[in-house]
Amino acid sequence: MNRPDRRRVPEAPARIAAEHGPRGRLRRAGVVVASMWAHGAGRFALVTLGLWILVSLVSLFWTPRSLWETNGYAVWAKPSADHWLGTDGVGADVFSWLMAGSRTDLVIVALTVLVALAIGLLLVAAMTSRAAALAHGSVVLIDALISIPTVLIALMLAVPLGASVAVIVLACGFGYGLNLARVARPSAMLAARSMYVESARADGASAMRVFATHIVPNVMPTLVVQCSLSAGTAVLAEAGLTYLGVGVPSGVPSWGHSLSTSVRFINIYPLTVLWPGLLVTVVVVALNLFGDALREAADPLTNPRLRGDDGHRRR
Amino acid sequence: MIKYLARRCALFALALFVVSVVVFLALRVLPGDLATIMAGLNSPPERVAALRAELGLDRPLAAQYGDWIAGLMRGDFGTTMLTGQPVASVVGARVQITFPLIMLGLLIALALGVPLGCASVMARSARARGLYQAVAIVGGAVPALWAGLVLILLFGRGSGLLPILPASGFPQDGWGDPAQAALALVLPAVTVGVIVGASIMRYTRSALQSVASTGAIEMAMACGMTRRRALTHVGLRLAMPQLVSVVGLTFAEMITGVMVIENLFALPGIGSGLVDDLTHRDLIAVQSELFMLAAFFLVIGLLVDLTHRALDPRLGEDDE
Repeated sequence: MNRPDRRRVPEAPARIAAEHGPRGRLRRAGVVVASMWAHGAGRFALVTLGLWILVSLVSLFWTPRSLWETNGYAVWAKPSADHWLGTDGVGADVFSWLMAGSRTDLVIVALTVLVALAIGLLLVAAMTSRAAALAHGSVVLIDALISIPTVLIALMLAVPLGASVAVIVLACGFGYGLNLARVARPSAMLAARSMYVESARADGASAMRVFATHIVPNVMPTLVVQCSLSAGTAVLAEAGLTYLGVGVPSGVPSWGHSLSTSVRFINIYPLTVLWPGLLVTVVVVALNLFGDALREAADPLTNPRLRGDDGHRRR
Repeated sequence: MIKYLARRCALFALALFVVSVVVFLALRVLPGDLATIMAGLNSPPERVAALRAELGLDRPLAAQYGDWIAGLMRGDFGTTMLTGQPVASVVGARVQITFPLIMLGLLIALALGVPLGCASVMARSARARGLYQAVAIVGGAVPALWAGLVLILLFGRGSGLLPILPASGFPQDGWGDPAQAALALVLPAVTVGVIVGASIMRYTRSALQSVASTGAIEMAMACGMTRRRALTHVGLRLAMPQLVSVVGLTFAEMITGVMVIENLFALPGIGSGLVDDLTHRDLIAVQSELFMLAAFFLVIGLLVDLTHRALDPRLGEDDE
């Protein structure tokens, strides 16, 4: 494969950075995606994540075999035309279960990231607030609670909630939210102490407005990248927690479920366990690469195509 | 320094208190009555009532909390429902497996991660750098469960390609036969070590790179050191405080993997014990165990922060 030709990427308008409003934002997003696509790692991430979403949607309407179609005479079948990845211990089709599992994992990851983002932003708001007690208190709280592992929170929640998706989403969302706030702290504090925030306050802007228009845009780049990494961790956490019996309830398809059902019989049928593990690894790699590629592509410092006139001179 | 020490310890005490309240309330206030859950969903109301009275669950929350904390102070962590043994002794037996496992895993992780991280910074060709990068990213993306399975399939007795190591269980007499016991921990520890090693490799790399960006490496080379020597002697020394904090955080990350691994290899350690107690709805034991584990991690956090402070003299002067 020859190296991607940069000139083939649609040329950015000269003053893209200056464009405001939804139109400019959309165009900037287009440039970011095109820049990610121009690198091998970014392309791999985009393709994998796109496939993930596509497969999840398809699995809502169609899987090669019904999930509940089991055949006692064809347990642990080898991969064949009938069962693309073979069957598991009750004769259910492994491929179909993995397909259906991808939508559960997608939902879990999306919800986890949303919860984490909400908690992270709330903590950032508290850290940058002008009430000294609140600002100090939130920093102290984050430092203290961050050393408690997510899995302990999950086990705590599992006592009243039992095995459920909510346990994964809440525990991971909480843990990753603390992490987001910690990662965003430097840039948030820098913005909060800046001259433009001071002048906005002097102009009579409310605390809410200052937060929304000045602080959030400053921390968002860091947060988005970190969210992508957290999404990868969430997929791994789903697998681990489901195996421990506090994650996705049994009977609901998920990758962790596929992974753990085949565990007990690895001595006899090692191959079945290969697929879900490979799948999870590939997806987590893609999520990590996505974060890295996004960081490169969305930052005007590293991506000249976003810099508008001075970075992208017409020759 | 003294001021910092005092503040950090006060923070530790506060966090310990918050955690104890959270653990306590998580088991009581959230939906689902503790006694009903413990007795089982279909048990007769009399049994539930008896259990509630026995555990003191009918008393006010503050009194229950006070009793529990007072017990903890005396070293009384309650008794397990299943066998009637004190929780403290049960946990003590489990620690003897989990602690060596974590330590061995961490050692393997450091032995793998730090040299690989250094090598990835030292690599000159783009191809070599890409290869190291790939190792770090894929290593961090493998589910712990799966890594353990693959290792069992490779080296586990009974099913492996090279069946030399026990794939499950721990000797009945514990550490009575140290060689056997240690052998049982090899595969689990390697699993933990490989996964954690990948993240330590990433952290080492980024710490070294940030040190290099300050110009310290070039300075050392200008003074006549080779690049390798400058990185390993000057770079690592400067990156050390950062690495120590990272290893501390890795500890917290590790425990998820450790729980899964203990279950997979059927090791009766802290993690698998906690999950067992949870499935048996032995909630009094769960409450004390969760608190003990959380306290352990808070202690680790405290130690890491203090070490970080001691290793990086630049931090000591201005107390924010």
